Amino acid sequence: MLAIDARNVAKTFRAGVIRRRETPALRGVSLAVERGRIFGLLGPNGAGKTTLLSILATLLTPDRGDVYVLGVDVLRAPHLARRRLNMASGNASFLWNLRAPEILGFYGRLYGLSGAALSRRVEELIAVAELAPHRRVPYNELSTGLKQRLALAKSLLNDPELLFLDEPTLGLDPDVSVRLRRYIASLRRERGMTIVLTTHYMREAEELCDEIAFIKGGQILARGTADELKRQILLGDVVALRFDRPAPVRLDRLPGVVRVSERDGWVECTVDVAAKRLPELLRVLNAEGVVIRDLQVREPDLEEVFVELAR
Amino acid sequence: MMSWRREAVAAWAFALRNLQMASRNVFLLFELLFWPVLGVVQIGLMGRFLTLKPEDALFILIGQMAFSIVSTCQLDVAYSVLYDYWSKSLKHHFLAPIGIRHLTVGSWVVGILRGLLVFVMTAALAWWAFRLNPLAAGIGPVLLLLTGCFLTAWIVGIFVCSLLMLFGGRAETSAWASINLVLALAGIYYPLSTLPGWAAAMGAAIPITYFLEAYRSHFGFAVESAAPLTTGFALAIAYIGLAHLTLHASVNRARRTGLLLKMSE
Repeated sequence: MLAIDARNVAKTFRAGVIRRRETPALRGVSLAVERGRIFGLLGPNGAGKTTLLSILATLLTPDRGDVYVLGVDVLRAPHLARRRLNMASGNASFLWNLRAPEILGFYGRLYGLSGAALSRRVEELIAVAELAPHRRVPYNELSTGLKQRLALAKSLLNDPELLFLDEPTLGLDPDVSVRLRRYIASLRRERGMTIVLTTHYMREAEELCDEIAFIKGGQILARGTADELKRQILLGDVVALRFDRPAPVRLDRLPGVVRVSERDGWVECTVDVAAKRLPELLRVLNAEGVVIRDLQVREPDLEEVFVELAR
Repeated sequence: MMSWRREAVAAWAFALRNLQMASRNVFLLFELLFWPVLGVVQIGLMGRFLTLKPEDALFILIGQMAFSIVSTCQLDVAYSVLYDYWSKSLKHHFLAPIGIRHLTVGSWVVGILRGLLVFVMTAALAWWAFRLNPLAAGIGPVLLLLTGCFLTAWIVGIFVCSLLMLFGGRAETSAWASINLVLALAGIYYPLSTLPGWAAAMGAAIPITYFLEAYRSHFGFAVESAAPLTTGFALAIAYIGLAHLTLHASVNRARRTGLLLKMSE
């Protein structure tokens, strides 16, 4: 069963009356997401991630294409889909002088909750988002992390079948991000919720997502699991070395070495096949009298795939 | 199928939110207290200085009171979009399964309450300070005048919301400016016949014109139209439908152009 079935979706933003400016945001994107999956949308700024998410969430109308969300044609009957989906974004904002229970109460009523059911749901979500100690604080006095937790709580008011998360951990402290990621994973595990998220954090995508799509220039360039993407991009293996002094040889001139970079005191050589190139690499360094303090061989991480695709 | 309970709950959400915001915003006190009170005091003192007959002073005073009531009430309707525009939270409304009607009805209910408060306060002040009794026509005519004021406020407020959805922040001032123009054309301090032909024609298309005319007739002023109340109600109903259609179309356009998202960033 598909939670999302979008075909050939295109969107161009137009501005200006006299000097007409056109900015293509999506160029014929097709996307299918199975129910109960966590799907990640990655891509550089301006790639079209938020535009695609907004179209799927019925906040934006595409210029062309077909969009089915939870089996509903959202271009014809968006109100039917809205009952069953919700969205939270990392930069969400609410009315400045309302408090968390009032904000949740307001949006809860928009989803048809009232009376004891509404009070119960609001209290549940306040507990889940750990907002209880801050329930009397006006929204504009909450910290960024609390605001984001409130945004996530708001997006769960209608217990959605499909949840869109636009950069949910943007600007959060690492410990808060970790807790939020665990909670997102539990939503899928315990409630079978389908989640589509955009993120700039590769680790987050790798940790959470069953499947990932890379968007750039309004097009999906690649999609698959994190491992499939690494294989698709054919980045090879990474040989990471730490020396006692800067290496006197240009490692990138050795056969089979695709790229050399430095990160946190490590020299990382991306090679086509580690098993084939490592002996030669070690032989050359040994001949130059370089002492190798540490050595690791690993597959490239998602960040390297991202950099390769965004290039 | 439409559930009346669900309809009422969604409208109540907007009403309650406007009340919560109003209770925490000191500037909203000015809307309720400062301008309406100042208006009555100015009219009362002007009447004394010009030694106006009580019915002439009442003619102007009723216009001033209607102005305060309509302004206060229409602002509440406009706030249903303005609050979210200011706090950049507009997209959350339109992500939820609600209709335009919930937003306009809920905020209008609070507008009516605040408008009633303005009415009671200004009427009491006019009597206490200047011995002018704007309620002399009786409860029925007063209720009809108030109905006309609230219907006009609803219409103007919804059109202001439409402008905001069409033009974003550039239309923000329309929330305060538009009502001045509408009421100036509606013969708020003068009969419609004193306006130039083109302006009188525009005034004749505004519902409050007829409700004011009907109410003032109880103080001995001539009625210029054949059936003012029927005309006023007919126009109001037509404009309410048109205003809702316009707002609906404006929201759809904002979804198409991306303005809805821009106003939430």
